[in-house]
Amino acid sequence: MANEPLPAGTAMDDESARLLNADLLQKFAALAGLVALLVVFSLIARNFFTVDNLINICRQTTTIALAGIGVTFVIITGGIDLSIGSVLAMSGVVAGMLVKDWEWNVYVAFFAGALSGVFVGFLNGAMVNFLRLPPFIATLGMMMIARGLALLVTNARSIPGLPESFGDIGNGALGTTYRLNARGVEVIGFPGIPHAVILMAVLAVVFYYILSSTKLGRYIYAVGSNEEATRLSGINVVKVKFFAYMICGGFAALSGIVTMSRLVTVQPTAGVAFEMDAIASTVIGGTSLMGGVGGISGTIIGAFIIGVLRNGLNMFGVQGFVQQIIIGAVIILAVSVDQFRNRKK
Amino acid sequence: MTTLLSVEGVSKAFPGVKALDNVYLELRKGEVHVLLGENGAGKSTLMKILSGVYQADSGAIVYKGKPVQFKTATEALRAGIGIIYQELNLVPHLTVAQNIFIGKEPVKMGFTIDAARMNRDAVEILKRLNADIKPTALVKNIAVSKQQMVEVAKALSYNSDVLIMDEPTSALTEAEIEELFKVIKSLRAQGVGIIYISHRLEEIREIADRVTIFRDGQYVSTDDYGDLTLDEIVKRMVGREMAHKFPPKKHIPTDEVILEVRDVQRRGETEKASFTLHAGEILGVAGLMGAGRTELARAIFGADPKAGGEIFVNGARVTVDSPLDAIQAGIGYLSEDRKAYGLALNMRITDNITMAYLDEVSTRSGRILKHLEKGVSRRFVKSLDIKTPSISQVVKNLSGGNQQKVVIAKWLFRNARVLIFDEPTRGVDVGAKYAIYELMDGLAASGAGIIMISSELPEILGMSDRIMVMSQGRVAAIMNIEGATQEKILHHAAGLL
Ligand SMILES: Nc1ncnc2c1ncn2[C@@H]1O[C@H](COP(=O)(O)OP(=O)(O)OP(=O)(O)O)[C@@H](O)[C@H]1O
Ligand SMILES: [Mg+2]
Repeated sequence: MANEPLPAGTAMDDESARLLNADLLQKFAALAGLVALLVVFSLIARNFFTVDNLINICRQTTTIALAGIGVTFVIITGGIDLSIGSVLAMSGVVAGMLVKDWEWNVYVAFFAGALSGVFVGFLNGAMVNFLRLPPFIATLGMMMIARGLALLVTNARSIPGLPESFGDIGNGALGTTYRLNARGVEVIGFPGIPHAVILMAVLAVVFYYILSSTKLGRYIYAVGSNEEATRLSGINVVKVKFFAYMICGGFAALSGIVTMSRLVTVQPTAGVAFEMDAIASTVIGGTSLMGGVGGISGTIIGAFIIGVLRNGLNMFGVQGFVQQIIIGAVIILAVSVDQFRNRKK
Repeated sequence: MTTLLSVEGVSKAFPGVKALDNVYLELRKGEVHVLLGENGAGKSTLMKILSGVYQADSGAIVYKGKPVQFKTATEALRAGIGIIYQELNLVPHLTVAQNIFIGKEPVKMGFTIDAARMNRDAVEILKRLNADIKPTALVKNIAVSKQQMVEVAKALSYNSDVLIMDEPTSALTEAEIEELFKVIKSLRAQGVGIIYISHRLEEIREIADRVTIFRDGQYVSTDDYGDLTLDEIVKRMVGREMAHKFPPKKHIPTDEVILEVRDVQRRGETEKASFTLHAGEILGVAGLMGAGRTELARAIFGADPKAGGEIFVNGARVTVDSPLDAIQAGIGYLSEDRKAYGLALNMRITDNITMAYLDEVSTRSGRILKHLEKGVSRRFVKSLDIKTPSISQVVKNLSGGNQQKVVIAKWLFRNARVLIFDEPTRGVDVGAKYAIYELMDGLAASGAGIIMISSELPEILGMSDRIMVMSQGRVAAIMNIEGATQEKILHHAAGLL
């Protein structure tokens, strides 16, 4: 922006006005942070900036990013979803049991698992809409219920011995190349893009589009910005919230399927407190817990910030507990930078 | 008289907007200094600078002979500059007394709040205002006009030397305005300097000593009120001659009944109400604050549940259980409280204008056609003269009057054939008022039916074809404009007839 303020009423073209958008500034700050992390880690760890490791980071970030996309919808409406981690486990259990006990086709079972998440989202939406429960309470209850169910039906035991195809989404990759090494043994050249990463990328683009360019997306923001004004504009606020929670549930379930598929085992105890990672990625990406502000691109950046941090810190052998401390500090830092900028305006 | 506060060449810019450009203002001890200007002229911005909310980019503020620059609102308050903001700033979940004494609660034994004393003192202050408000009532449970009085009481409680009032009367009843003016006069007699901002040019006659006018962020003039005519004031505000307050009537009411309301009732708020509205007609709805006008309007619009009754649009019975039903039947409602019910403040002008009618600018599959949307917004920003650097400006950053125009644009775009305007010109400047009147006239001329709820009788008399007066929740009278007078309306409104 030019430093010289324009006289009152001067028309400024839309593009420069959009550049002023706090949302974009926040995204820029987050992106700059991500790039800085990449640079720092690359400089101090020799094997950080390698094709293998970068793909690894993408793979590790996928589950957070998936859940983050979903919860972004809910948070923009001014809500929250604490049941994500439990839904992650529950959907895995659903898919695993359908495959193991009912001998369903793996992909049909995955689909059913995802639907189970959408259904939980539906229940969350119903509680928020009809029982008028605060989203925090409704989804807190659901967090316990879904986790309890997952543990109950599995007797808290994991489900091993799943067919190899169960691991396709989590472990498969596209475009893997092989080459012969010096001893004439075939080894992996380019490891390929993991299926899960492709899934995440496609969904990110689709849901970015939905949020930024469709009526549903606009209504999601409107509900978070002023629910009553939105209702008085003739918008079915109930429906909008149902959509948000169902999208969130669906993504949590997908995240679960990817997680379990990677292990080729179903763990009913997986994903405890995982919602916090998802919410953190959203918040680091500039989405406001007050609702009405935020977006998918920020969430993806936020997810990668968390993913890169974990990966880099692991590489240095930083202890898990210390990692937690650092990531916690990053969240606080990211959001304070945002607050500070808003205040300065 | 001694100068209390002077503003010397202050400028302030926001991204894309020069809100204040080298303005002057001199406030003397014991005067009521009225600050006038169109929406977006920078009045509120200057007041926020005086009270420490914003900092000036350049220029000086001299207070009691010393240059000052307040960094926070508390600092300004401590120095003796009290302010009543244009927007209500109360904590809804606290009581009236707690709100009045927020930040300076009387304490006993050094730490516990002396609630009894606080309530007593609150009663004292409210009595000075002749306001009938219980100090123990929760603010969220009292009417907007009462809340406004609480704001006044809060500002008074500081015993400030300078008191700034930014449109304090926009939500007050006539009787409450009278009380407020009494208080203003007594404060003036005590030597308090008062800066008073209002868009109701008639009311300032009673209190104004001097008048300063801003236009588009620039200083225009300062005069003794007695040296100015109303026409001259208006001319300086808008920068051109304005011969009439109301546009010549173009619309002609037809016989066609566009809306019939039969026995619609809002339990506990209004009695059964029945009336008709014709195509091409403006039906003015008068009444005192609390007469149930807004409640009835919201029930008709489906915003609140009805206790019974029927609604007919163009002769056909329609079920209106939600705003969506009403909108689909062609009814639009423009709320009196734009911030709470009219606008998504964090969203852009564009988003707000198209919110009620996204279908019109999107494909079947739900993709918003952004170029269409922008075109629509540009059209309305232009035709309603919304002052903004761009259609992507966040509505929160617009001046009060321009926000109101955005809400109007939303319903104009929705093409509603029955429009309920609830206090459409509240907080809107003279020029824009005229534009809104013209708009309403044009809408009626094109065959729409308009219900205009207004607390300003000149507006009711100047715009309506028929007038419905409400009193204590019931329809007290419906009269033709011929033969309607201010006295008659007030009589019905007070329940005397
Ligand atoms: N925080 C802000 N960010 C950006 N622009 C702002 C901000 N506050 C005010 N403005 C702009 O500054 C100009 C002056 O606004 P201001 O609120 O002072 O007007 P006003 O004279 O009080 O108008 P009204 O009578 O409508 O209340 C307007 O164009 C407004 O859009
Ligand atoms: Mg103002």
